[in-house]
Amino acid sequence: MLQHRSIRPMLLLARTTKARHGLSQLKPPALPRTPGGEAFHARCQLLSKQGPAEAGWAGKPRGPGLRTRLLVTAVLGAGLGGVWLALRTEKEKLRQQQRTEALRQAAVGQGDFSLLDHRGQARCKADFRGQWVLMYFGFTHCPDICPDELEKLVQVVRRLEAEPGLPPVQPVFVTLDPERDDVAAMARYVQDFHPRLLGLTGSAEQVAQVSRSYRVYYSAGPKDEDQDYIVDHSIAIYLLSPDGLFTDYYGRTRSAEQIADSVRRHMAAFRSVLG
Amino acid sequence: MAAPSMKERQVCWGARDEYWKCLDKNEDDASQCKKLRSSFESSCPQQWIKYFDKRREYLKFKEKFEAGQFQPSDSTSKS
Repeated sequence: MLQHRSIRPMLLLARTTKARHGLSQLKPPALPRTPGGEAFHARCQLLSKQGPAEAGWAGKPRGPGLRTRLLVTAVLGAGLGGVWLALRTEKEKLRQQQRTEALRQAAVGQGDFSLLDHRGQARCKADFRGQWVLMYFGFTHCPDICPDELEKLVQVVRRLEAEPGLPPVQPVFVTLDPERDDVAAMARYVQDFHPRLLGLTGSAEQVAQVSRSYRVYYSAGPKDEDQDYIVDHSIAIYLLSPDGLFTDYYGRTRSAEQIADSVRRHMAAFRSVLG
Repeated sequence: MAAPSMKERQVCWGARDEYWKCLDKNEDDASQCKKLRSSFESSCPQQWIKYFDKRREYLKFKEKFEAGQFQPSDSTSKS
């Protein structure tokens, strides 16, 4: 008797799996397809299958004891719970794969650019693969906001540089004023901020293209008698992952410390999708 | 025209801050700050002067607005 009892749960477990497989093959259109729904139907089928065995038990004078019933319920519950967990894990895996695929496509296409650095060397997005990048868009004749934001950006880089074990971050400044900011002007400008700050410029079309792909608005104002003008533009520091993906952005109100914290978190959570 | 260098920017910002401090002290009476105004104008590109003048107006408005002292004009409140 005792032996019987210990074998039964195992039999039931085997049946549970069988019942589920049978069900997934049938897939009647009227069945709800949620995991819970399947579980319900699996139980129905299971109960009807074990009918004869149950009848045999019931034929004995005492019938199945409370312990047996509890045991059966517990095993059934555990089995169904296991199935539900497996389904959920599968679903999560599929979602992760889809997201990875979408990100990979974005990495090769969007946000690409073809510009010149402040040493006159051609640069495109692929050149920054494998590096974390902090990127800011502005112009060298900018009265206050650009220098402030660039100063903040290089402070973030210095903070992160000071911590051993962190991957290096490449600071990049892209001009939105290609008319005045040629290679020489960019070289003069970036040296004031950080030895590794890379200035990027290009033709009017190239700058329009990079700003479009990063959704940066800019508009040059009217010229005064000195031929001087202000370029109105959106203000944000962009974080690109080593895959070249736009990962985060930071507005004016974020401090260097807050940005550094965020970058550190992104670094810790980073897993390449490009492989 | 080359963009101001970092040194030139700092000189300009310093002159601007001095001038703005004077305006703060004298309830924005520019006639009390003529000397600092001319120092400000000689330290910064003309375009920047215009920009900083507008910026001060904006910052003043923002301060007032955030302190809850801003009263919308009749035309604004009616619309």
